[in-house]
Amino acid sequence: MRNISLGLLVLVAFLGGCNQSSSEDKSSGDKLTVGVTMLSMQNEFIVNVSDEMEKKAKELGVELITVDAERSALKQIEQVESFIAQKVDVIVMNPCEVEASSPAVTKALAAKIPIINVNSETTATPSAFVGSDDVESGRIAMKYIAEKLGGKGNVLMMHGYMGQAAQIKREQGAREILKQYPNLKLLAHQTAEWDRAKSMALMENWIQSYGKEINAVFAQNDEMGMGAVKALTDAGLKDKVIVVSIDAIPDALQAVKKGTLNATVFQNAQQQGAKAIETAVKIAKGEAYEKSVLIPFQLVTAENVAQFAK
Amino acid sequence: MKNTFKINTRGLGQYGIFVAFVLICLLLSFITPKFLTVSNWTIIITQVSINALLAFGVTFVIITGGIDLSLGSVVAVTGVVAASMAHPETYPVVVPILVGILAGVSMGALNGLVITKSKVPPFIVTLGMMTIGRGLALILSKGRPISNLSDEFNFIGGGQILGIPLPIIILIIAFVICSIILKKTVLGRYIYAVGGNEQAAKASGIRVNKVKMAVYTLCGGLAALAGILLTSRITTGQPNAGVGFELDAIAAAIIGGTSTSGGTGTMTGTLIGALLIGVISNGLDLLNVTSYYQQVVMGAIIIGAVVLDSWNQSSQK
Repeated sequence: MRNISLGLLVLVAFLGGCNQSSSEDKSSGDKLTVGVTMLSMQNEFIVNVSDEMEKKAKELGVELITVDAERSALKQIEQVESFIAQKVDVIVMNPCEVEASSPAVTKALAAKIPIINVNSETTATPSAFVGSDDVESGRIAMKYIAEKLGGKGNVLMMHGYMGQAAQIKREQGAREILKQYPNLKLLAHQTAEWDRAKSMALMENWIQSYGKEINAVFAQNDEMGMGAVKALTDAGLKDKVIVVSIDAIPDALQAVKKGTLNATVFQNAQQQGAKAIETAVKIAKGEAYEKSVLIPFQLVTAENVAQFAK
Repeated sequence: MKNTFKINTRGLGQYGIFVAFVLICLLLSFITPKFLTVSNWTIIITQVSINALLAFGVTFVIITGGIDLSLGSVVAVTGVVAASMAHPETYPVVVPILVGILAGVSMGALNGLVITKSKVPPFIVTLGMMTIGRGLALILSKGRPISNLSDEFNFIGGGQILGIPLPIIILIIAFVICSIILKKTVLGRYIYAVGGNEQAAKASGIRVNKVKMAVYTLCGGLAALAGILLTSRITTGQPNAGVGFELDAIAAAIIGGTSTSGGTGTMTGTLIGALLIGVISNGLDLLNVTSYYQQVVMGAIIIGAVVLDSWNQSSQK
């Protein structure tokens, strides 16, 4: 028993220590301080956006306090509350959830601290939004499939986590295009939770189920696209099936270059990160700024992949 | 109805689950002709192999009355470590495999060490290790997937020998070895003894701590093997791989008749448990059932299996 309480004590002390280091008081005097809370630092795209923010912040000479919400809206709200308590000059939030992260926006605005949403939206209106319209990415991907198939064929769709903003919007965009092409049939759709291993298993099962009927696969992110490519390649079907996904992560760009993945949709992490910080600084300094900075998606195929792959 | 159930399950818990498994397979083969084919079963067993390896490991642990929640994180650490050494034209393929397994074994041994030395419950220790492991995987990979792995490395999870996918061969070998350890060795008998009654085991001269060290280390090693298999199968080392894997593995063991109160369980039961989970997930995909329902069905089966197990236990008393 004594051991357990001792262990707990150490644990608490350790956690306390961690907490402190992540929410340091703003140190340097008149430097602008920006509190940043990101959806998940386990996601490559989000890490890229965060890195670009750091770069831009250095360039503009502002201080960033970046924290990871680990996909929890509750945690995100607490982080924003802590930013408010620290009296940061401006907050940048990469929302975890459309609804559940909204209170963070309301709280920041009530405390008269401007808040900028980056990458995805909340129901509550922030001071500014910097990001891309996910519906557009779904349209671009499905449009590519429709054109490649001449408007006729069987398509499979892999969802991300059901109910997340990106999943809902990418599906919406894809379905808009499907409606325009009545001969394009959605054979089946299922979630693989943004995950490569899960997508591979799902694709294997679909191959068992539909085999040669499959003409194209639309995966809502590249991780799943890569999993589908792997399963199709193993089954010797890749030459016959078009695979398109979204995000343009380095792996996917390599695959487009090799011709295994037919296309991906480039979401501009660099622009999203940089514009978010630029807008934050403008607001903090009281300069004029755009309320909605929309960064366009771009289709990446074998023809133009060279300009995206580093 | 209740009576026939009791008769069916009297004796070994795994019989009940075996019957359920056969029934579900029969049902699926009636509903869809795509289910009972060689190619579909090759896929099911390949997909099951990773969870089965984890489940074998955690079966040892649960029989001693413990639990291991760090499996998924061990998978991630192993995957990242192995992937970072598996780029083409760097090291021979045995290096990433051995270093990866060493990483998993060390994490398992550390679990065992803390559990035996501190008397902190395994639930807490391995929960801590779960978080530490996830952090380590992120640190080692800088939060990004590690790709561009050599063909030799990718052969482990994607290759075939005599037309049989390598993961299936690895699964069979692991199953045979684990069964032998549990059934035919002194260690196996000690594992049951420790889980059955720790005090009695201690009194009869069994070095309980050594047995516990052995099971957690073994469990870490098997999780490492699963991590290497996964990394090779998806041809990338991913720091966020394996989230929630521990729960599927524990579910497989429990469905297969391993009692969470310790002392009972078999590798055959666990294998059937893992296969059952795989068959259901495959079958529901073939039938194009939405994943919302898939989760409900899976949960119901897990609870059903435990209910079966507890009836079985009370009928033995």
